[in-house]
Formats: sequence, structure tokens, C-alpha cells
Amino acid sequence: MDERTSRTLAPRPDLKPFPERTERISAIRYELLSTPYSICLERPKLFDRFARSPKGKAARQEHPLVRRAQALAYVFSQRRPHVYPDELIVGNMTSKRIASNYYQEGGSVNIVEDVWRLKHRAIPLHLSLGEKAYLVSVAARKGVTSVGGRAMLRPGRVSHFIDIFRAKRHFVTEEAGVGHQVGDYRMVVHEGLRSVDEEAARRLESGTMPDGVELTKDQEAFFRSVRIAIEGIRQMAANLAGEAERQAQEPGISLERREELLEIAQACRWVPYEPARTFQEGLQAIWLVHIAFNLEDFEQGLSFGRLDQILYPLYLADIEEGRLTEEPACEILASFCLKACETLPLYSERIDKFFSGGGVAQAITVGGTDAEGRDVANELTGLILDSYAQVLTREPALHVRVHPDTPDWLMRKAVQVIQLGTSRPSLFGDPAVVRALETAGMSTEHARDYAVIGCVEMASQGRTYNSSDAALFNLPLCLELALNQGRRFPGKRAGQRKRMGAATPPVSEMKSFEDVLAAFRAQVADGVADMVKVITWLEEAYRIWRPTPVNSILTQGCMQSGKDVTWGGGFYDYTSVQAAGLADTGDSLYALMRVVFDEKRFSLPEFVEILKSDFRDHEPLRVELATRFPRYGNGDPEVDAMTQVAADMYSDAVISHHNSRGGLYIPGFYSMTCHIGFGRKTGALPDGRHAGARLSNGLAPADGTERQGPTAVLRSAASLDSSKWSNCCALNMKFHKGLVQGETGVRALSSLFRNYFDQGGMQVQVNVLDADMLRAAKEDPKLYPDLVVRVAGYCAYFNDLQPAAKDEIIERTAHGIG
Amino acid sequence: MADEDRGKNAEDNVGAGASPASDSPVVPDPIGELAGKPLIISVQHFCLHDGPGIRSLVFFKGCPLRCAWCQNPETWRAQAEIAFKAHLCIGCGTCVDACPHGALAEIGRRDAERCRLCFTCTEACPSEALHRFGLPLSVEDVLARLRPEFPLFKTSGGGVTLSGGEPSLFPGFATALATALRAEDVHVAMETSGRFSPYRTAQLLRHLDLLLYDVKVFDDGLHQKLCGASNERIKANLRELAAAAKGDEVPALWPRLPLIPDMTDARENLLDWAAFLLKLGIDSLTLIPYHRLGASKRGWLGLEAEPDISELSDSRIEYARALLADAGLRVFMPGEEKWDGLQPGPA
Repeated sequence: MDERTSRTLAPRPDLKPFPERTERISAIRYELLSTPYSICLERPKLFDRFARSPKGKAARQEHPLVRRAQALAYVFSQRRPHVYPDELIVGNMTSKRIASNYYQEGGSVNIVEDVWRLKHRAIPLHLSLGEKAYLVSVAARKGVTSVGGRAMLRPGRVSHFIDIFRAKRHFVTEEAGVGHQVGDYRMVVHEGLRSVDEEAARRLESGTMPDGVELTKDQEAFFRSVRIAIEGIRQMAANLAGEAERQAQEPGISLERREELLEIAQACRWVPYEPARTFQEGLQAIWLVHIAFNLEDFEQGLSFGRLDQILYPLYLADIEEGRLTEEPACEILASFCLKACETLPLYSERIDKFFSGGGVAQAITVGGTDAEGRDVANELTGLILDSYAQVLTREPALHVRVHPDTPDWLMRKAVQVIQLGTSRPSLFGDPAVVRALETAGMSTEHARDYAVIGCVEMASQGRTYNSSDAALFNLPLCLELALNQGRRFPGKRAGQRKRMGAATPPVSEMKSFEDVLAAFRAQVADGVADMVKVITWLEEAYRIWRPTPVNSILTQGCMQSGKDVTWGGGFYDYTSVQAAGLADTGDSLYALMRVVFDEKRFSLPEFVEILKSDFRDHEPLRVELATRFPRYGNGDPEVDAMTQVAADMYSDAVISHHNSRGGLYIPGFYSMTCHIGFGRKTGALPDGRHAGARLSNGLAPADGTERQGPTAVLRSAASLDSSKWSNCCALNMKFHKGLVQGETGVRALSSLFRNYFDQGGMQVQVNVLDADMLRAAKEDPKLYPDLVVRVAGYCAYFNDLQPAAKDEIIERTAHGIG
Repeated sequence: MADEDRGKNAEDNVGAGASPASDSPVVPDPIGELAGKPLIISVQHFCLHDGPGIRSLVFFKGCPLRCAWCQNPETWRAQAEIAFKAHLCIGCGTCVDACPHGALAEIGRRDAERCRLCFTCTEACPSEALHRFGLPLSVEDVLARLRPEFPLFKTSGGGVTLSGGEPSLFPGFATALATALRAEDVHVAMETSGRFSPYRTAQLLRHLDLLLYDVKVFDDGLHQKLCGASNERIKANLRELAAAAKGDEVPALWPRLPLIPDMTDARENLLDWAAFLLKLGIDSLTLIPYHRLGASKRGWLGLEAEPDISELSDSRIEYARALLADAGLRVFMPGEEKWDGLQPGPA
């Protein structure tokens, strides 16, 4: 970071209002918000076309990695360039204004379930009849050669393939793609792809690695794949430059826009191959490589990293040389942010239960420290927050790193953006995150250079291959299995279900709580092992059939070893698997211990029968367990300790595995919306949760159990030892807008979160509930059971209010008066 | 009981320190060991509108007033009470079986004659539909609930606000609590109706940083009618506090006026208060606009429904704010106060 931090920062004035959205940004934003979503089929079509071309036929004789690189380069270079009106950063993510790319190799196949009702989905997709027919045909043709098909359409594996779609014990998302990466955009911006290309050329020319050892066939294929992919990216950039030049010559184009277009063209002919010369070129370089990255594997969680650090030298140089001022810089950033809205994830409605609202999560990380631990917040940090405040769109994701020396203005500004109600940015506690990354074997310097992948996951930027969302795990189900000899509770079916987990002893033989814990531990270990087995099959398929040369260019370690990331080339290599339902598990262990073993109100078999019947005829017991028993999230160390037990069991089971690339398995605690999907498949729990109800979300307390307010929730969360959670956690909090608006809210929330991180907190994300959310809460009181609302001088639980009072609060919230 | 009587009773007893003879609903009950330990309704954290910073509120049970608009009737009586929140009841009948005195013949119907307030039913109720208002907490108990929040008070410039009910009804306890808190560098505020005995509370006031002082109805006759007691004492206390020397002896004073339609929002009432405050050298005031929560707490306690008070329109709030501002006061809405300029004791 060196010279970048040397300049003294002009402190940003407090409460400086966010800059107004410029006309340009309003126009692009309006266009994006009013364009219906679709699916882009250009990618599979170009893959098909490549396969039929002479070059594609010749490629069949090539090493699979070279073949893959050639196909990708063909897609990059042959796709049609679009330059949209007004934009300053160009490069179309798909062939349409807003669409999902189609990944026939895995990720996108599930959409076929919805193909005849695309327009009637909650998130409608617009596709012509011909496109639908093509979609079905490509899905049919590619099913067998998809990664999941390659890995699992084999004797003894098919049932696991089907299990992926049933998602009970776990949901192996890696079947759809790996994605999830913070590429080395610092290299792209400051050195350009030329540096990598030339190194690959040297290796190929000399036929040896730098130490003189001859290249293996695989290494040779790797260096060729790097050069092929880079050539494809250059061609794509050149095509965009051509399109910009063409538009510049169109009659009727304004002089001003013509100049912009020519400048854009110039940039695209220079970056990303050459090092960026200006701030705008830096962002353009990142965006171009980002498109290639998106087209390669799948779109989930491909993140930009620490943009305030990467771009700061260019920004400073532009400012100092008078090429740029703050306002246009903010506009360029906003234009960049809006590019991120051009894509969306492709989920069928069934899958959407598990991942809805997740988005693609192209994350920008700002703030934090340098390798020595010194604060590095700069003017650009503030500008990036300003620019996001202008767009307020579902993409990109925005994350702020917080540590003890984070300046107050940054905390305040982060909270001011949070107040705008898009639940961005989320906040990360550097000390806890760095400690957890060190547990995963990172050097302190590299850990301090972490950036967020997608929602909450972690990478040392540009150095990590983290299949960070490989799978999600249903932790509470392990307790159900432990109480029923590895079988799920029968539910409404008569008779036993097939055994799913480990063959643990029947409850009649469990004499102590320790026996229950032992069975639970065995089920967790068994479930994790099963999940690892499936992921290992997929890793094998990726290694052969879907290596990722672009990702390898952007991950340090690959060029040094001559290995693709899927072969273990990354400097740090992880597979990360996350648990859902942590609070429900801890609370359930606690409740079971008390009811059965401490208070001896039931024998264990009796209590398990009650659970099996979903508390039939035992509603008072269920209500008592749910409302009167101590719960995680209230600052009660006794029950929080049980949450730690549950977390440790999962962490230890995960950490005991290595992936097939030689990397580590690391745990995380977040659930996307899997806590809903998993909840449907999970029986009644000892904490009073009904069978089928949703599970607790990430690190949050179970629904309706926070009785002591937000400070206690944060205290409980921070009290947990997160040093093994190398893939982080997600703590969702909800506040009524009226409670936290204005200067009072800025002060309160910034102190609240600073205090949380002082206690060792790892992550928090905040939903400021607006009128629509309150309306939903009125319709369904279970939605935000703990929501405290404020009107005038009073605070009350929203659910305690009479309908008329609720209406008024909704009305007032809608009008921004609280 | 007539309003006048209620007012009279209260006036007699407040300040005298003696246990009241009758079980008038106005005066604090003797059962709560008034002179010693209060009952605490709850300790609520992350409060942003009752003093500077992030605060925790300690709600004392027992109040010398009975304001017509009060939405917290559980704070009225000093003794513990059993509330029934019908919307939480699952109809299991556990309470009926549990009651050792046969006071619950059926769910939701408690015979006050038979009930000995043993709270077996609230303990037994699985859904917390039967709820006990008033916990006999010690100073240490309350401190234990507050202590985890101390670091947050420091980062946010917040502290603890004693509220209620009327904390000053329990000067011994409140003083002990305030002293203990300030010994640990915690800022202590108190919300008061102003109806307290200056002799009994002198020591308490010395240990407070900020007094949030309610001013409601200026006209004494109307005050007696609407709030159940005379406001002579309230005005006198305010006068004395304002006149007292600056320094450690007296906390900073900050009046708050609940703006209740047709009760406190009349032009005359507002202007009378403004003149009164300005004359005392107090130039800031918080307006607390009335809002019907609709949380039918009176119903939970088996009390008569609150009077029908119309909603407060934004224009009425704006009118009041402008009126007071024109009179020369700095007017704030709750949570928006500029505490920075707050001096110990008004100028």
C-alpha cells in the first residue's frame, strides 16, 4: 500500500449529504429498472457453434484445458458487443440489457423446470417461443455432460445426484458452478494481462519452469490456456472498442457523447492487456476481465475486491494532474456499479426457496487495514459509498471492513448508506476475520488483505481459490437423526424412513446428555463426510471437464506452479461449507438437556415421541419451550454456550477434511435462504419449533426469540468463538426505519456496531425496514416477530399493535416521517 | 372516586413519606414497601429517545399521577399486578389448574378477592399470556442487567435513564442505583413527573446528571382533572431546581411536554409553559407528540379503556412547535435534541 497511504487525508465533513444522482446515472438506472429480465442464450449457442467449427473439431484432439480455453476464447471474441447509451464503463454482460447467462454445463439447468411458466414466476423472465425451445433442447443435450452429470451419473452415485435436488441434509451448490472469487484485479489494473501473457510465453518458449524443470504436458496445456484466454479477452475488448467507434460516427450523436465514446474506445484498445493509465481505465479494465470471468464458470459471487485500495493510486494521479475531480469520479463509479445490474442468477422457483434474494453478489470491499494493520480508508472509500448511494440497486454488494482505527467518518457514512434501506453495506470486524483466516493457514499479511467474496465469504484477494459456497448444511437435522437412529422423523408417513445418517444408538439406550451429544456429533460427522464425498466427485469433474483458465490468470500461485485453479494451483485453496440453523440447534440442545436430564419432566424416549408427533397434544409444552426457555441471542451465557457447542461440532467435523486439490475445508455460518428450504424438510425441534417451519438464519437468533433487544443479540453473537469460522458468518438484524433514522440513528448504529466489533464481532448486516416490509409484517406476524417500531416517543413490538396502529405506522414510514 | 378527591389524597401523601391509609388508586400502595424497595417493571436497552446516546431505561412501578392519556397503566400502582394478554393465550388451562387459591375459575377471569398475588399462574403460563408486572429486583440485580451495556454507553455517550412510573417515589433505591452507576462512570438521567418531595429527593437529585422533567397541563384545575392531582408541587419543584446554584448539587434540567390533542396542545397551555420556563431561564424543550399505540394495556389489566383521544395531525405538531419556537424556546422532537450544549443546571 506504501505510497498510497502517504498523502494526508482531508477529513470528510460529517453528514455531508450524498451527492445527487446525475442525469446520466438517473437515465441508465431508469433503463435498467424498467427492463424486464430475460435469459441470454448467446453463450450456449456460441459453444455449440465452436464445437461444429473446424477449429472446434480440431480442438477435440487437444488437452481438455486447451480445448476449454479455446471454446471460451471463441465465446469472448465472437459475442456481439453492445455499448449502451450514456454509460462510461462499457462491456455487455449478456446479449440483452438484463439477463442471466446460461451455463449449460451445470448451474442453469434447473430453470428448465419453469420453462413453460417463465412469465408467471415471482420474478418473471421474458423469452421468445424459439428461445424456449432452444433452452429445452440444450438442457436435454447437455444434461449428461454437465458437471453434475459427469460426476454422478455413474453406478452408486445417482442417488446422490437426486439428493442434490431434494436438499435435506445438505445442498451441494458446487454442482452448479464454483464461481465465488476475488480475482487479482490489482494485477489487472496495475500490470495488465500482458505481464501474465508474457510469462506464459516465456514458459512455453523455454519449455521449462523458472527453476529449469521441464514442463509437464499439463503445465504446457496450462500456459497455452492462459495465452488463449487472454487473446480472447483482448479480442472482446477490441470488439467493444469497434462498437464504440461505430457509434461515435453515427449521425446525430452529440459532440460530447462522441468524445466519450472515442475515449471509451481508446481505453478498450489499451486495457486490460496494458496497465491502466487513468482511474476510468482502471475500472474499465476490471469490468472487461469481470465479464470474461462471468462467462467462464458461473456468475455467483465473482467479486471486485478492495476497489478503494486498488484504484487509489490512479485516482490520486488523476486528481493531482487535474484530469479528474470528485464529482465525475463518483459518476464513473456509479456507472460501474450499474454495470453490475446487467446480470442476475438463474434459479427455478424451487431452487429459489433456498437462494432467493441472494442475487449474484458482485462484492466491493472498502476500508480495513494494510498488511501492517494500519488504517487505509481514503477519499475513494467515501466516494465508493457515495456512488452506491446514488444507484441503490440490487447489485453490486458492498462491504465495509471495520477495525479499531476505522475513522468515525467512515462508520458514519456506512451507517448513512445502511439507512437508505438496501441492507448495504454489511460490516466486517477485521480482528475476528483476520484471526479466522490465520486459523485457515493464511499469513497475517495476506489475511489483512482480505476482501469479501459475494455475501460474506473470505479471500485474500487475488491469492485464494475458495470454492466458498460449495455446499450448505442442515445442522438441526443432525439432531433429529441423532434422536432417531439416523432416520428422519416419520412425519405423516406410517412406518420408518430409510436410514439417512449414521447408525447411532436408539434413544432408549442414551442415559445422559453426553450420550445425546455423542450421537449428534456422529451425525454431524457423517453428514459432513457425505457432503465431502459428493464435492470430491464434483472436484474431479471440474478438474477434467471444466477447468477455469480465466480464474487461474487471476489467482496467484497458478502461474508459479503451472496449474489451473481446479488442479490446486491457487496460493490458498479452500472448499467452504456453511451450516444453517445454528441457533435452533444450540437452543434445542439446551432445551432437551433441561427438560429431559435436568428437570426430568419426560424420559428421553417420551420426549422424542412428542417431537415425532410434532407436539401433537402438547401445544402448551411447545409454547413453553418456544417462549419461556432461555434462548441464544439474549446475552445469556448458559444457552449461548450450547450454541458454541453446536458450532464447534460442525466446525471440527468440517476442518477434519481436506479437499482433493490439497486444500482445506473451512466452515461458515450463513444460510442464504436455505434455512427456509431446509426447514421444510426438518422435523420438530426440542426448542419448540414446529416441523417444517423455517430454521434460524445464519448467526441470527431463532425467530421470535430475541427478548432483550439488539444489544443483547450482538453480545451473544460476539461472545461466540469464531476463530474457526474461516468462511465467516452472517448476522442479520432488522430495525424499523423510524427507530434509526436521522442523526440519532447514525450515532446510535455506529456506536452499536463499533461496540460489537470491540467485543470481537465478525459480521453484521442490517435491514432497515421500509413501509412495504411493514405491510408484509402486518400480513404475516411471523415475518419479523421481534420488530420494535417507534412512533413519536414510544417504542413497541410491531406485533403487539392493533391493526389501525400498524396501518398508521406503515403510512408514516412510507412518507418518511417517523 | 371523584377527581378532586384523588388529587387531594395524592397531595397529602406525596412528600409526607407516610404510608397512605386508604387503597386509593392514585397514591402508591403500601404493599410495595414504598419507602424501601420499588418493584421494577422492566429494564429496556437500546433506547435512543430518552436522553443522550444509547441508553437503558429502568422502569419503576408506581406513579403519583393518573394522566388521562397514559398508555402505560402498568406503571400506576406500586404493587405487583397480573396482566392477561388475551392475544397470547393458547387456552390450555394450565393457569386454572395451577392456582392454589381457586382464584381462576376459568381462563382469563381472575377473582381479585381470592387472588393472593402469589404469581403461581404467571409462573405456570406457558405462553406468557399471564404476565407479572413488577419484579422485586435489588439494586445489584438491576446493575447486573445494566452492566453489559456499559461499554456501549461509553462509545455512544449514553447512559441509564430511570423512568416509570415515578422513580423519585423510591428515593433510597434510586439514589443507591444512581450512585452505583456513577461510581462506574455511567451517565444517569431520570424521567420525572415533577411531583416529588424535595426533601426526600434532595440526595437523589445530587446524584443525577440529567432530569427529564415532564410539563403537561399548566392550569391547575385542568391538571387535577386530567392528571389526577394538583400541579402546584410540580411547578414549585421546577422553580426551585432552576433557581438552585449550578454545579454538582443539581442535575441539568430538560423539560418535555407530551403533546396530547385537546389536552395539552391548546395555544394557551403551550404559551403558559413557554413563559414559565423562559422566566426560569430554561430555553429548551422536547415535544412528545401523542400517538395511539393501540397496545391495549388497560385491557390487559382489566381497566377501563382509555378515553377516545383523536390522532394528532402533523399540522398540529407543526403548529405547536412553531408557537413554542416563536415564544423563544428551542423545540426538539424526541431523539433529536442537541444535548451538546447541555450545561449542568440552567443558566
